[in-house]
Amino acid sequence: MAMRNDAIGRVRESLIYVLPLLLFVVVFILIPVLGTGVTSVFKDIAFLEKRFALFDNYRTLLYDPSFYQSLRFTLLFIAVSVPVEIVLGLVFALILNHPLPVRGVLRACLLVPWAIPAAVSARTWELIYNYSYGLANVMLTKLKLTGEPVNWLGTERGAFFSIVVADVWKTTPFAAIIILAGLQAIPEDLYGQARVDGANAWQRFSKVTLPLIKPVLVVALLFRTIDALRVFDLVYVLTRGGPGGATTSLSMYGYRYFVLGDFGYGSAVSVVLFLLALGLSIAYVRLSRWRTAIM
Amino acid sequence: MRGSVTWFLVFSLSLVTVGCAGEEERSITFAVGGAPRELEFWEELLDGFEQLSGIQVNILRQPTDTDLRRQGLVVPLRSGQSDPDVFLMDVAWIAQFSSSGWLEPLDTYVEERGIELDAFFRGLLSSIDLRGGQLVALPVYVDGGLLYYREDLLARYGYERPPRTWNELVEYSIHVQEQVRESNPDFYGFVWQGAQYEGLICNFIEFAVSNGGGILDDGGKFSLTIEENIGALRFMRDLIHRYRVSPPNTFTEMREEEVRIFFQQGNALFERNWPYAWALHQEDHSAVKGRVQIAPLPHFPGGKSVSTLGGWHIGISKYSRKKSISWELVEFITSYEIQKKLALGLGWNPGRMDVYGDSEVVKRFPHFTTLTEVFENAYPRPIIPYYTQLSEVMQRHINGTLAGECEPEPALSAAEREVMRLEERYGGVETWQ
Repeated sequence: MAMRNDAIGRVRESLIYVLPLLLFVVVFILIPVLGTGVTSVFKDIAFLEKRFALFDNYRTLLYDPSFYQSLRFTLLFIAVSVPVEIVLGLVFALILNHPLPVRGVLRACLLVPWAIPAAVSARTWELIYNYSYGLANVMLTKLKLTGEPVNWLGTERGAFFSIVVADVWKTTPFAAIIILAGLQAIPEDLYGQARVDGANAWQRFSKVTLPLIKPVLVVALLFRTIDALRVFDLVYVLTRGGPGGATTSLSMYGYRYFVLGDFGYGSAVSVVLFLLALGLSIAYVRLSRWRTAIM
Repeated sequence: MRGSVTWFLVFSLSLVTVGCAGEEERSITFAVGGAPRELEFWEELLDGFEQLSGIQVNILRQPTDTDLRRQGLVVPLRSGQSDPDVFLMDVAWIAQFSSSGWLEPLDTYVEERGIELDAFFRGLLSSIDLRGGQLVALPVYVDGGLLYYREDLLARYGYERPPRTWNELVEYSIHVQEQVRESNPDFYGFVWQGAQYEGLICNFIEFAVSNGGGILDDGGKFSLTIEENIGALRFMRDLIHRYRVSPPNTFTEMREEEVRIFFQQGNALFERNWPYAWALHQEDHSAVKGRVQIAPLPHFPGGKSVSTLGGWHIGISKYSRKKSISWELVEFITSYEIQKKLALGLGWNPGRMDVYGDSEVVKRFPHFTTLTEVFENAYPRPIIPYYTQLSEVMQRHINGTLAGECEPEPALSAAEREVMRLEERYGGVETWQ
């Protein structure tokens, strides 16, 4: 009996420790998410009478061509930037995992882009891409590679790839660090045994390294995908969604309605974004399990 | 153990409440943005106000960009925050702000203090500041698009007067650009605002209306896909891609300040900008000091030149807890002396008409007399609560056309279709005009 009381006491005490976090989750995550869901079924427009509208906002969304334009841009952005970041991150991680003399310095350098706030790095890239005084054009014209400066952000394709390059620069370090952690968890003797069995470098990589870092790869992939899905600051600073709305990401599309005063519609966009993120996460987790099962 | 946990919780909770400490009685927050020089000027003015009234004014510094300034106000107003108490609003937002119930009616204050409303531009008050029979704002300064031109260059290449039609402007530009580029390869004929933002709409309206088009038809209904507008948009695109008299970054980077700096560095013959650029062009470090003149914007053959009505109005937040001292600030800023100071100090065009007759102002800015006419005939943007949505749609399609991503006609008809959907969602036709 005494022991049971003790156990209850301990549960109580641990509840107290968990409470701040729980409060944090409820106040800053759960309530806003639910609130957004509730707002999304209202026609909540600043200058009109608020009224219940069920799926009205969602219906409007489904018939809005610029929603599809943003959806297309966002998915394309994920499809192009995330694989590049993961592959580059893997390469950097493999290099850094080798005992090089300046490894510490290299690791610190690699982290610099990741440590810079996104809005600041976007501003930096804006200064690089700027037509009249941007670094890229100054270099091109000084080296006489092109007769005229290039308007990097002036075409749909140009703006898209400019954003991808800036994003890859900024977030590859993140992927590299996560993958590096995975690499360092692999016991050295596994490679020794592989060598004894006569495995060459490629076989050691594909049969030992890759399967063992797969869990961290999935984590990196998941983090990067979700992050890319809600890309905002980079696009907002670099192109503001232009030219002609070609680079409006989904979160920018939704944000616009918030500042325009249509809160119900903005919330509906957020909910769609949330569902997309949820769907992608589930897909990744499923995929990683399935691969484990057949291997 | 239990005790320390409790103390920890108490401590963290107390941290949360520290932020809500007491508030000073006679202090208000005034949100204002603009170029760095303008903000300095406001600070000076408000120092004077503090000494006069004993009311401390905290300036909430906002950026230059109009859209960002609106966002900076919508967020606190939407959440019913008590500050900023007083703010400046672009003419284009007033309908939305007032329909949202964010603006304190000023009628009683005006009556109590016996303010002469006749001193202000009458047309402005009735079309912009009077919403549903109530006065919700007062004009601080008026804006309209102007053509700035390099007097010295026109004279050097044998032109006696500024261009009256857009075709003349292109002709002058091509000729002068070719000559000047021999010494300055970065030189362009004509710079204007083509980036995807509100300024693009102001420019579009000027091109379109000076071609006999516009975004509202005679009955005040929205209509975009008409021959005059298509022609104007095609001309805007041609300025960049065909005549090549406007720089290729017109549609990606050119907003007011970018345009002003470009021109001020001596890299352009013509500039479309608001009156604020005048005083800056005349500063000592300006490469075009003393070489600039202004003229009405050109028009298409058969059309007449037109300026989009712009400008900033002052209002009091409905959520302000200090409305009466906020009014003192509004009264101060819209007073004759301060309006005159704004004119003399920043070259702004006051919202009070009586200042235009002031001998000191006339002596300093002879061009003010002609400006009065420009402002009285300026073309307002549709005054509807969802104007920003409408503008966003148009910006996207017009900017896409300038980028060469689509043709003028399908772009305008796509924009029109989207605006029809907005109309369905946000209200009826009766709110137009």
